[in-house]
Amino acid sequence: MKPRTQVVLLATLMTATAWGQEVSLYGTTMAQMWKQETPGFDKNTFTPATQYLGIDATKLGTDNLSLHLFGWGRTDLSDVSNFDGSKSGGYLNYGYLQYRFDQANAEIKAGRFTANQATGFEQVDGVSVRTDLRGGFSISAFGGKPVYYKTVDPRNQADYEFQRDFIMGTRLAWRMPKVGEIGLSYVQDGTKAAKDLDIPSPVDYTRKMLGADFHLAPASAFDLRGRTVFNVANERTNTAEHDYTATVKLGDQVTMTGNYAMRNFNYYFAGTNLPSLFRQDENDKFRGFGGSITWNASTVVQLVGDYRHMHRETFGDVNRAGGEVRWTASDKSFLGGVSGHWVNAANTRFVDPATPYRSLSHKEARVWAMATQGKLIASLDAILQRYDSENPYLVGVRNVYEVVGSLGYQATTNVKVSGDISYGSTPVARHETRGLLRAEYRFGFAKKGGR
Amino acid sequence: MARKSILQIVGIVLGLCVLTACSLISPEASFAATHPQELGAGRPICSECHSNDVAKGALKPYASFDHTPTFVKDHRFQANQDANTCASCHAQSFCADCHGGKVPMKPATRLSDRPDRATPHRGDFMTQHRIEGKMDPSSCYACHGRANNEKCAACHR
Repeated sequence: MKPRTQVVLLATLMTATAWGQEVSLYGTTMAQMWKQETPGFDKNTFTPATQYLGIDATKLGTDNLSLHLFGWGRTDLSDVSNFDGSKSGGYLNYGYLQYRFDQANAEIKAGRFTANQATGFEQVDGVSVRTDLRGGFSISAFGGKPVYYKTVDPRNQADYEFQRDFIMGTRLAWRMPKVGEIGLSYVQDGTKAAKDLDIPSPVDYTRKMLGADFHLAPASAFDLRGRTVFNVANERTNTAEHDYTATVKLGDQVTMTGNYAMRNFNYYFAGTNLPSLFRQDENDKFRGFGGSITWNASTVVQLVGDYRHMHRETFGDVNRAGGEVRWTASDKSFLGGVSGHWVNAANTRFVDPATPYRSLSHKEARVWAMATQGKLIASLDAILQRYDSENPYLVGVRNVYEVVGSLGYQATTNVKVSGDISYGSTPVARHETRGLLRAEYRFGFAKKGGR
Repeated sequence: MARKSILQIVGIVLGLCVLTACSLISPEASFAATHPQELGAGRPICSECHSNDVAKGALKPYASFDHTPTFVKDHRFQANQDANTCASCHAQSFCADCHGGKVPMKPATRLSDRPDRATPHRGDFMTQHRIEGKMDPSSCYACHGRANNEKCAACHR
């Protein structure tokens, strides 16, 4: 979206808030500070300031019309901390008008919104509609201009925008009470392919995906859900993804889950704007399965054990296992947890003989706690990852850790100030201390939000 | 004359389509826009209060929305199928905490005073992502493949 269009959209939406009978405004102001000293580079002091701001305005002339805005801006008060060299930036995450009908769960959205219907998670500048139909059917659709992030090589930007000229998607579903739901969805991002360019490009950003999803929940104790996504951009239809999860509850105390996933990179990553990172040309495949057991040992203690096996055709097998204990006081004045995970990647393959071996095996431990006493809120979060010392990713550092301590004051129900101190050691920054100040505020009528 | 007739026929057909579509719309009242009671801190277990019935709109047991560890990890399924149910308690900004599209800092830093929330990228993720990416790059792709990857592009050109 061009800056001029953004200004017009923002001005329109801001003006619309004046009509709202119930307007809530919420924001977070943050200031960070840390110093960095990397061998071979200048010493730097970073002090970025970031402002998040959201507005929800309801009852815009009618009870059913509302406005929702959320965005952020940031600036560096000293050295540049952003990778692209810019000292300031900002972004409108979403900004849309919504009309919610009293009947059929029907709604219309217009503006910038997120569409997450079965096959994709897309940001769109456009319009979306949905409604329930008779007989348990529901239908939804969206269309508009895909939101660009200007994250491709500038030489390819024109090709990128040429191909991603329009995005549309739809989903038709059928629900049966106490049985479940099945859905069929389609998303198409771009109407012009790379071959349509004046000088045809080998990098194709267009995407056509067909998805089938289902949810089987005949009883509270059993739940099976998942989806299969097909890439239909080519002459042949190819499976891009299977992802299915089953949940079984044994009484009130024990929950067991199992998951199976398969992704074919060539089709799953189709249309990526980072082809160098998500290598769809490698014809690689991923398969993973695993599960977890959650035991609510008492009203305040929860234990979780989990295991996952991952297989990548080019790299081999990885096993991850671990557990967590969570403590939640009955009055929620104290929450805490201890977790440990072990990743064994001994069976990964040594792909490139020209580069040193890079072990993926490591262990991870985490302990965290959060306590509330009156208006004071304190938290502590410590995480340690222990790697093989020969790993060239780690330049001799074996233990990577970070400890974050936070102290906050809830001045009123809607205003909270807090400060963090973090200390850590990484292969990039050893014994680094960071500071962060945060002010959160909420004014207006909203009872729900980012909590 | 012929053109006028064609336009009339098209108009009649479109009108019939609209009438047919309207007659197909469910007569049921919409799901509540806002949960009637404000919920406390922590992960709610919906089925503790809503027992033996299905969520209106979603037509699924409330237990399907219990915020268990599995639900928190795999909530994309519920978000895809039942965004209306999510919206009765969560504003869109709750999603944007992690799924912002383009964000100025990692979610774990923004919410560093909330260790109870399952925010991604805790600790030194610059080191960790090299490991995770080798094991399963498809887990990165959901957010970073077609979204906020300016930082990825700084190294992965």
